[in-house]
Amino acid sequence: MTYTIGIDVGGTFTDFHAMDGGGADRIHKVPSTPDDPTEAVMRGLAELAEGEGLDLPAFLARTIRIVHGTTVTTNAVLTGRVARTGLLATAGFRDALAMRRGIREKLYDNKYTAPKPVVPRRLRLPVRERIDRTGAVRRPIALEDVDRAAEIFSREGIEAVAICLLHAYANDEHERAAADRMRECLPDAYVAASNDILPQMRYYERTSTTVLAAAVGPIFGRYVARLNDRLVESGFDGPLLIMQSNGGVAAPGTAAANAATTLLSGPAAAPAASLAVTAPHREDSFIVIDMGGTSFEASLVRDGRPAIANGTTVDRFAMALPAMDIKTVGAGGGSIGWIDGGGLLRMGPDSAGAVPGPACYGLGGTRPTSSDASLVLGYLSATGFAGGRMTLDADAARDAIERDIARPLGIDTVAAAAGMYRVVTVGMASAIREISMERGLDPREYPLVCAGGAGAIHAAAIARELGITRIMVPRVAPVLCAAGMLATDLRHDFVRSFATPFDAGAIDVCRLESLADAMAAEAHATLAAENVPEDRHRLDFALDLRYSGQYHEVEVRAPDRSMLTDISAMTEAFHAAHDRLYGYALPDGETPVELIGVRLAAFGVTEKPAARPLSRHGEPGSKGMRNVYLPDRNAFESIEILDGMTLPAGFRGSGPAIVDTPLTAAFVPARFDIAVDDFGTLILTDRGA
Amino acid sequence: MSIEIDPVLTSVIQRRLKSITEEMGLALLRTTRSPILNEARDFVTGLYDEAGDMLEQTEYIPVLAFALQPVCKAIIDFFGDDLHPGDVFLHNDVFSGGNQNNDVAVFRPVFLDGEPIGWAACKGHQADIGGAVAGGYNPDAREVWQEALRIPPLKIFDRGQRREDVWRTIFANIRYPIVEQDIEAQIGGTAVGERGIVELVERYGIDVFRAHKEALFTATERMVAREIEAIPDGRYRGESTVFYDGVTDGSEMTIRLEATVEGGGIIFDYSGSSPQTPGFVNAPFAATASATMLTFLMLIDPDIPHNAGLHRPIRIVNPEGSFLNAAFPAATTFGNSITGPISDAIFRALADAVPKTVTAGWNRFLGFAVSGDDPRRSRHFVDILFLALKGGSGATWNADGYDHIGLINCAGGILAQDYEMFEIQNPILLERHEYLADSAGPGRWRGGLGVETAMRIEGENVTAVAFGDGIVERARAFGLFGGEAGSVNTSAFRFPDGGEKVAKSKEIVRDIPPGTVFRQRAGGGGGYGPPRERPADLVAGEVRDGLISREAAREIYRVAVDPETLELDRDATAELRRP
Repeated sequence: MTYTIGIDVGGTFTDFHAMDGGGADRIHKVPSTPDDPTEAVMRGLAELAEGEGLDLPAFLARTIRIVHGTTVTTNAVLTGRVARTGLLATAGFRDALAMRRGIREKLYDNKYTAPKPVVPRRLRLPVRERIDRTGAVRRPIALEDVDRAAEIFSREGIEAVAICLLHAYANDEHERAAADRMRECLPDAYVAASNDILPQMRYYERTSTTVLAAAVGPIFGRYVARLNDRLVESGFDGPLLIMQSNGGVAAPGTAAANAATTLLSGPAAAPAASLAVTAPHREDSFIVIDMGGTSFEASLVRDGRPAIANGTTVDRFAMALPAMDIKTVGAGGGSIGWIDGGGLLRMGPDSAGAVPGPACYGLGGTRPTSSDASLVLGYLSATGFAGGRMTLDADAARDAIERDIARPLGIDTVAAAAGMYRVVTVGMASAIREISMERGLDPREYPLVCAGGAGAIHAAAIARELGITRIMVPRVAPVLCAAGMLATDLRHDFVRSFATPFDAGAIDVCRLESLADAMAAEAHATLAAENVPEDRHRLDFALDLRYSGQYHEVEVRAPDRSMLTDISAMTEAFHAAHDRLYGYALPDGETPVELIGVRLAAFGVTEKPAARPLSRHGEPGSKGMRNVYLPDRNAFESIEILDGMTLPAGFRGSGPAIVDTPLTAAFVPARFDIAVDDFGTLILTDRGA
Repeated sequence: MSIEIDPVLTSVIQRRLKSITEEMGLALLRTTRSPILNEARDFVTGLYDEAGDMLEQTEYIPVLAFALQPVCKAIIDFFGDDLHPGDVFLHNDVFSGGNQNNDVAVFRPVFLDGEPIGWAACKGHQADIGGAVAGGYNPDAREVWQEALRIPPLKIFDRGQRREDVWRTIFANIRYPIVEQDIEAQIGGTAVGERGIVELVERYGIDVFRAHKEALFTATERMVAREIEAIPDGRYRGESTVFYDGVTDGSEMTIRLEATVEGGGIIFDYSGSSPQTPGFVNAPFAATASATMLTFLMLIDPDIPHNAGLHRPIRIVNPEGSFLNAAFPAATTFGNSITGPISDAIFRALADAVPKTVTAGWNRFLGFAVSGDDPRRSRHFVDILFLALKGGSGATWNADGYDHIGLINCAGGILAQDYEMFEIQNPILLERHEYLADSAGPGRWRGGLGVETAMRIEGENVTAVAFGDGIVERARAFGLFGGEAGSVNTSAFRFPDGGEKVAKSKEIVRDIPPGTVFRQRAGGGGGYGPPRERPADLVAGEVRDGLISREAAREIYRVAVDPETLELDRDATAELRRP
C-alpha cells in the first residue's frame, strides 16, 4: 500500500487528505501550531499513521508524494514578522513602494492611515542609473552606489535585498550588475532582482512584488528546509511539493527562489479539488465556495480552467504575480451581527474568530454570530458539533441575539436569527456576483460547489439568491484544499513586457517569436529541474492586449503556439473577448490594438490518484427529527436529520432535511431534491417552487 | 394597500443597489480610454428612482458626491412624459444642474412592463468638451461658450435608436475621438445599471421595492441626523481665501461660511462670499454643493449609505451672483478646484465644535495639463501631471495626514501615474519623484507629506496649462490647535537656453522647447496639535528617514538627534522640551 498526502496549514486547523493506492482516502484535522507549523504537520501525520496501524517511519516510507499548502508567508507579512529587507531603487524613485501611487482606499475616512511599507525609507537606497522605455541606457550604473548601500545593509543586519530599477523589463543589464555586486558584498543575503521575480512593466507593482518576494524568501526557505528535514528524519523520501497561489504546485527549490508565489497559496487548491468532484458529472464550469470560521472564499472555474488574476494585494501592497482569482469576504461562522446607527442589521466584518468565539461556544464570546443564528434556527446540532467534541450552548446564543439584535429591532429572537442568516447569505452572494457578473458571466449557468465547515448550511440560500439550481457538496468538503493539492499539476508562470502596436504592419513578429522561444526554453528548463519528463510539459501562451489608450489589458489565450504570432487571429480573439467581458468591441480598425506583454503558463502534468467509488450500500441512517426553521415557510418544522456517513451511492431523497456529517452539515430546504453520486458527493437540485 | 416593512429586506436592497453601482464603475474602469477616467478615476455611477431621488451612488472621487441627482431632476422636468424604454440622455450644462462643463453625464431611464421605475447614470470627466482650449481648462475664458460646448438635457437615443444627426453634431464639436468612445463606455455602464435594477425590482415587485426604498431613505436620514445631533447646537463661522482669479494679479476672493446646527439638521450658508469673478474662477451651484457634501461626509460615519436620505437633514444656502454660485453665462471650469478652499472654511468653522473629527488644511492643488506632439510616434499627446500635483492631507486627532494623497476633491481616489507607463504614453523622461522633506505641517500629528517631481520634456510644440492655487504663503495648508502649516506649492520650467519661467497659478505656457526641465513641489498638509507633543522617537525616526531635517526637529519639534548616528538624544530632547 502506498500513500499520497495533501496537507493544508490554515490559521486555525491543519487539514490532511491522504489517499492510498487503491483510491480510498482519509480526512483528518488537527489544531494548527502557529509558532512552529511543522509541529502540527508532524502530529497529524503521526495520527494518520496510527489510523493505518503503522508507526510514522513505516507510514512515511510508503508515502510517495506530499503536497503542502501553507500560510507561513502570508502570516509573516500580515504580522510583520518578515526578514529584515532592504531595497535598491533607481535614484530619485525610492519612495514608489510607500506611495502606492497615492491611493487611500477609504475616501471619506480621514482616520484611515497608510500602511507601513515592509522596507522603511532609511533602507530604501538609491542607485544612480537610468534606462528608458526602449531599453536604451541614458545613464550608466554607478556601482559605487551599490557598494555604499551594501555597507549600510550590512551594518543594519539586512537578510534580504530587493532590487528594482526603472524599465528593467526592457533591459535588465543594470539590475543584473547591481545584483551580482550585492551578492559579492553580502554573500549571505537573499537577493531578489525585479526582472527575475516579475519582468513586467509598472514600477510600483514590480517593486512591491519584488519586496514581498525578498521579505518572505528567507522565511520560506527556512520553513521548507525544516519541514523537509523533519520529514526525511522520519523516513520520508518521496518528493515534497509546494502549493502556489497560481493554483499549481512547484518543487521547494523553485518556490523558494520566488517565495511570493506562495503568498496566497492557502485557498488556491479549492478549484482543482472541485474539478475532481465535478468531473464524473461532465461539469467543467462551476463556482466554488469555502466558508470557514472567519472568512468566505469564492472562485470560478470555466471550461476546466480556474480564473487567474494578474494583480492582487497583500496587506494593501501590490502582488502582481498571477494568482487564483479568489474573492474573500469577512463572512464566516464567527461574523458578528450588529445594528447600525440607522437601525439596519449588519453582519461582520468583525469576527469572534475561534477565541472568544461565538456566544454558543461558551468560551467567553458574548456577541451574536452567524453560528449562533444557525444554532437557534436548528441548522447546527448542539451536541454533534466538531465531530461531537464540542457541545454548543443554545441559550447563550439565544440571549446574545435577543439582546443585541431582536430587542433593538423590535422583533422576536427567531426573526432576528433568520435575518442574520439572510444578511450573511446576501453578503456571500454578492461576492459571487463579483467573480461572475462583473466578469460578464451569469452565475445561474454554473453549479455551486460548496466546502468548508459552514458552507453547506448556507449553500441552498445562496443558490436561491443567485438563481443557481444545482449544488454539490463533496465528501471531502471539510478539507477541500488539502484534497485539491493532490489533484494539481506543477505550474509556473512567465511574463515578458513587449509594448508595441498590435498590427501586422507595425509589430516585429521576429521579436515576438524569439521572446516566446526564450520563455518556452526557460519553462522547459524549470520543469526539467523538477524532474518532469518532457512529454508531460504543457505550455499555454497568451497575449495581454488592449485598445490604444485603455489602462487595463485583456489576456487573450493562444490555443496553440502557432496562433500566437497570427496577428489577425489574435486580434479577432481580442475583440471577441472584449465584447464578452464588457459588452462591446471596436473591430472597425479605427481604434488601434496594443500589445503589452506575453504570458506563458507552463504545466508539468502529474499523476493524480484516482478516487474510488463509494463502497457503501444499504439503508441510510437517520439521527431522528429536529425542529428547524424553514425560511420559505417562515416557521419551525420538525424535519429529519440524515446521517451523512451512511448515505449510499445512488441515494435519492428530498428536503426539508439536514444532512449531518462529523465536520459539517448541509441544510436542504423543501424545494430541493437530494442525491448522492458514486463518489459520495451530495447533490442538491432546486425543483422550483 | 399597506406593505409591512421588513428591516432585513431593507438591508438586502441597500447592499444590492450598492453592488450594482460598483459593477457599473468596474465596467467604466476597464473600458474607458482617457487616463482621466481609467487612471484618475474621475467619474461617478448612480441609480435614481423615477422621481430622480438618489437610490445609491458610488463616487470614485468624492467631488462628484452631489453631481447627479440635480441633473436627473432637470431631465425629468424638461422631458416630462416623453421618456421611453431605450432612451438615453446626455448632459453637462452647469446652468441646469451640472457641476463642471467637462463632466458629462449619461442617463438612462429604466422601465419595467412599460412603467418607469428609475434611472441609471454615469458621469465622467471628458478629455475634451470643445471650447477654446483643448482639455477645457481655459484661464482666458470670460463666458461659458469659450470653455465648452453646452449640453442641456439632450436625448441621444430614442427608443433604442441612436439619433445619428444629434450624435454627429455633438462630436463634431469635440476635439478627440476618444471622447466619443468614452461616452459609449458610459452608455454601456448605464446598461449594466439598468439590468441590475430591473432584476432587483422584478424579484420583489415594485410595491415592495418602493416601500422599502422609502424605509431605506428614512433609515439613512435618521443615521445622518443622529450624527448631526452629536454636534453641539450653534452657529459656526469659517472663512477662507481663494487666490488669483486668473485675470487680475493679486486678486483674492473670500468664502464666508456660516454653519447652523440645530438638533438633527445643519445649514451651510455661503451668503456674503465674494461676487463672481470675470474669469473662470467661479463655481456653479452643484460644484459648491458637492464640495460641501464631500466635506460633510468626512465628518460623519463613513459607512452610511449614499442615497436621498443622506441629503434630507442638510440645507445649502448659496445666493446666485457670488463666485460660489455664478450667474449665467459665467465661465466656471475652475469651480471644482474651489473645493479645497470650501472645505478649509468648513473645517475651520467646525473645529471647536467637533475638534476630534475635523482635519487641518489639505494641500491646495496646483495642476498642469500638458499637451503637444510625440515625435516618437508622430502623434498628439495630452495628460494631466497627476503624479506631480498630489500633496499631503491635513492631520486630524489621532492620525497623521496622508502622504501624497492629492486634492481633497479626490481624497485619495486619484491614482498617480505609474512611472513606466507614463513614459510609454508621453514623450517625457522623469528625473525624480520623491517625498519632499520638511513639507509636512508639523504637529502632535503631522500633515501628509508633499512630493517633489522633476521631468525632462522631450515632446514638440508643447503647451502646459497651469490651474490651481496654493503658491502664495497664505494659501499653505493651515495647522490646527497648535499644529503648523504645510509647505507651499512651487513650480518652474528651466528652458534649454538657461532661461526660467514660473507659471502663475492659472496660466497657459506655450511653445515649451524639447529639453525643458519642469520641476514641481506639491506641498504638505497642515499639522494638528503642538509639535513638541509629538513622541520624540517618531520624530527621530523621520529624521533618520530623511523626511524631517535635524534643524526642523530641533527648532520645531524640540527633539535632538545625534548628528552622527541620527539616534534620538533623549537627554538633550528632555532639555529642549522642558516647559
